[in-house]
Amino acid sequence: MARGATLTAPVARPLLSRRARELLTGYCYLIPVILALGGTVLFPILKAMQMSLYNHVLIRPQEYGYVGLANYARLLHDETFWLSLWNSFQWVFGSVLFQFLGGFAAALLLHQSFRGRALVRTITLLPWIIPGVVVALIWEFIYQPNYGLLNDILSRAGVMTERVAWLANPALAMPAVILTNVWRGVPFFAIMLLAGLQAIPGELYEAGRVDGASVFQRFRFITLPMLKPIIVVATATRIVWTFNYADLIFVMTSGGPANATQITSTYTLLQAYSNLDFGYAATLSVALLLIMLAFTVVYLRLTRGLESVA
Amino acid sequence: MNERRILSRRALLKTMAAAGTLTAADLKWWEEPLLRPRRAWGAAPVRFQFSVPEPKRNALVESLVQRFNQAQKDFEVKVEFVPQAQARQKLITSVAAGSPPDCCQVWDNWVGEFEGMGALEDLTPKVKDWKHYKDVLPLAWQTVTVKNKIASLPWVVTNDALYYRTDRMKEYGLSAPKDDWGFDDFLAFTKAFTRTDKNQYGFGMRGQGTWAVLYATEFMYANGAQVLKDGKVVINSREAAEALDWYLDLFRKHKVCPPSVPTDGWRGIVEGFGRGITNTYIHNSGSAEEQKGFVGEKNFSTVPLPLGPAKKRNSFYFSETLTAFNKGKSREGAWRFMSWLMEDEPNLMYTKGLGLLPSRKTLFERPEFMHDPAYQGFIKSFPFSIVSPYLAYAGWGGKIDSEGVPLFQQALVGKLSSKEFLDKFAEVLTKNMA
Amino acid sequence: MRRAPGLDWAERVLGGPVLWMGLAALTLFAVAPFVWVLLASFKTRAELYATPIVYLPASLSLANYVEAWTSRLTPFSRFFANSLWVSSVTMVATTVVSILAGYALARFRFAGRQTFLLVFLATQMFPAVLLIAPLLSQWYALGLIDTYQALIYSNFSFTVPFTVWMLVGYFESIPRELEESAMLDGCTNFGALCRIVLPLAAPGVAATAIFAFVASWSELLFAITFTSQTEMRTLSAGLLFMVGQYEIQWGQLSAGVIISTIPVAILFTYLQRHLIQGLSAGAVKG
Repeated sequence: MARGATLTAPVARPLLSRRARELLTGYCYLIPVILALGGTVLFPILKAMQMSLYNHVLIRPQEYGYVGLANYARLLHDETFWLSLWNSFQWVFGSVLFQFLGGFAAALLLHQSFRGRALVRTITLLPWIIPGVVVALIWEFIYQPNYGLLNDILSRAGVMTERVAWLANPALAMPAVILTNVWRGVPFFAIMLLAGLQAIPGELYEAGRVDGASVFQRFRFITLPMLKPIIVVATATRIVWTFNYADLIFVMTSGGPANATQITSTYTLLQAYSNLDFGYAATLSVALLLIMLAFTVVYLRLTRGLESVA
Repeated sequence: MNERRILSRRALLKTMAAAGTLTAADLKWWEEPLLRPRRAWGAAPVRFQFSVPEPKRNALVESLVQRFNQAQKDFEVKVEFVPQAQARQKLITSVAAGSPPDCCQVWDNWVGEFEGMGALEDLTPKVKDWKHYKDVLPLAWQTVTVKNKIASLPWVVTNDALYYRTDRMKEYGLSAPKDDWGFDDFLAFTKAFTRTDKNQYGFGMRGQGTWAVLYATEFMYANGAQVLKDGKVVINSREAAEALDWYLDLFRKHKVCPPSVPTDGWRGIVEGFGRGITNTYIHNSGSAEEQKGFVGEKNFSTVPLPLGPAKKRNSFYFSETLTAFNKGKSREGAWRFMSWLMEDEPNLMYTKGLGLLPSRKTLFERPEFMHDPAYQGFIKSFPFSIVSPYLAYAGWGGKIDSEGVPLFQQALVGKLSSKEFLDKFAEVLTKNMA
Repeated sequence: MRRAPGLDWAERVLGGPVLWMGLAALTLFAVAPFVWVLLASFKTRAELYATPIVYLPASLSLANYVEAWTSRLTPFSRFFANSLWVSSVTMVATTVVSILAGYALARFRFAGRQTFLLVFLATQMFPAVLLIAPLLSQWYALGLIDTYQALIYSNFSFTVPFTVWMLVGYFESIPRELEESAMLDGCTNFGALCRIVLPLAAPGVAATAIFAFVASWSELLFAITFTSQTEMRTLSAGLLFMVGQYEIQWGQLSAGVIISTIPVAILFTYLQRHLIQGLSAGAVKG
């Protein structure tokens, strides 16, 4: 902003001040993004909020109309919704916890120097980048009761005598989809934590060694504290993402058997696709949004606290 | 005078041009499908949605459409293949958006829903003047009559029977089930057919989709239960609960079914049998031709469903329909195409090609249907077959799928008792008796 | 004077056997499912459904690939072209949009800047299912069902917020002085962006572009909701419907899975390094 000071050429006073022109340029740069997100995010969200106040079941066009908060009242009494929230909690907790543990271990391993590291890194990070539907199909094939990989391995190992239908058994379906999601999500944590590890100055470890700290002590007192900010951020991002993520379960079980894997986001899809109840689907998605916003607020508080500490 | 301002205007233009990449996506050239059907000059287009795309059906339907387009000059039918999983949603959303196809192929139990939306072309007047009106089986008309209006043409009708492997039956020293067998014989038969060491199971129960509930209902009827009595839903009777318990125990207790039952839909049961994992399954005649290819014509046969403790049994008729929409752009074209599909040759081509039964008496009684051993189970079931009781109310079709099946699955995996399931299911039905 | 001690016992165990076993387990866990599907894609029908399982196909037959690629019912060649087109256009448009927005947010201090940044952050938290019903009716109203535009526009909802967020970070890390001196030499703001900032930010821009491509390539829910004709399906949607409607042909399906994986896998090997930097840069700020 100070650049104008050196301008000496005797120009006529522009119509707009430099500051104003600069702002105008800035806003112009934002026009495309405003159009793009306005049309695909902002307007649809407002529309969803409006839809949630209407009885809007496609197969009952006669009953279309404004119903106020009736859909929200229905939500409060909908057992399946509450079940889906509980399932979402299990899904998020199980997925993120094991993704984190696996990812942390992977990051520590990949941080070491060994021959072929670049190759191993690329290979182990692959599951994260392939399409969700591909992940779902690969694992559906592995879980397939009659000619799937998992049953065959387990029965060859003598662990299992009876074939198990992993995705058809209500007690096993949730762990099975969580394992799939863990497979997919480990690389995410691995990448994030690896970046964090690389940012830790080597001198810290050297100093630790000089002070006679054992490898575990160095991990506890150098690695962990240095990684803390990135752990918090990555975990929070992952929680939000996992909570919203529907593809995997939608493809593998559609929330079945008997709602055993019905998380809130797949339940919303079900209302929109199968019941064609757009009003209620919108209500569910607004509820999802509110939960996520609440989480985000807490998260922002938390990270702000972190920054001031650091 | 002010170069800076001129430049910044140019910069602005450039920016807008860059943003114009967005609008450039509006160009039309890539919108054309790669495979464009030939179009007769001057013929009015007719859009036909076909809702069970699978290789055999697609080939049949495409060749039928081609023949129709060559046989006359007024209309050019364009077929849209939409996967079964998406078909209902697509039709309903396109009706809601005011741009339905001119006609479509769906199942009778979906028709009520479309009628409820006020979307259907009432075919009654046209059908009454139609030359084959009297030739179509009355029960077929019954499946497509909604609120005393004829809502569709019944393309094919079919009922349910049990497919079983004859080669393995001989291998295991079993004798063929008699036509009037009972529940106990059924259990013994499927038990003897279960060889877990060989990854073989006695019965491929269906756990997903509308027919999961329909097949279970057929067993309830065998015990004297009914869906409706004196205008009231009575599917939660004691007889029904007993029979359902017995039926579900095949999976839960006796384990004569593969563990994958809760996720097995139409393809699941047909494939399971075709790949030799199950040795029996219930289905309509529509997979007979397919099984001839999978397990071999000589290696399987069909038999009527068993008699229940009440010495009763019923098999449910249903039909694959040709249905027209009143907001279609070419209603005359839709009728011409649909009625053409009911003519002798096209109808035989479709039904015989798939193993489904024609709805017209003159075709139905032909030897290729009456004497094929693969159809015997279905033909022997005619005397006690009835039109599916779930067609009684237009509002039921979609609800069985969206609410009935999830409840059924809970009973299947033991989260609800049979009685609890039936109570809840009866509640759903009662609520939607409009 | 103290000296750093040599490797202690724990370090030797951790650096030796534990490291190697860990790496082996990690690689196996990541790779085994791919190998299983890759093998399946070469198997014949009899080999796929044999009991007990046959692990190695008798020959490396490409029949499944040829069938999947040329099939009339599930034409993977068409799906592939659709995915390629949708993802490429999304990538280009997203990149242009977010370069401009990212630059504006990194350089200009205007009213509402903080709000903008917050909106981009918040948008990333929105569930995709929230947008499905309203977008469906919106595209119906605009007559965009079964078109590429509907998919491309919808993809902006998840690509743009993330790429803008990432590019703001990149641009902020580029010293402002460079542009200022360029502008003194008569460059416009836009000129400075194109000639000075972009070349410096090129790796970051490439990474965001590839991110947009990969994310659109994986997209499923919009693809199945806004298209229903076979010839308009993307790879993800095509794969899903291959399961839903026909015999689950695991041979062809596996071939399809491999076909869908290869392009992103190649891009990813290139992207990996930049992504690690970019993610951590963006994330630490987040």
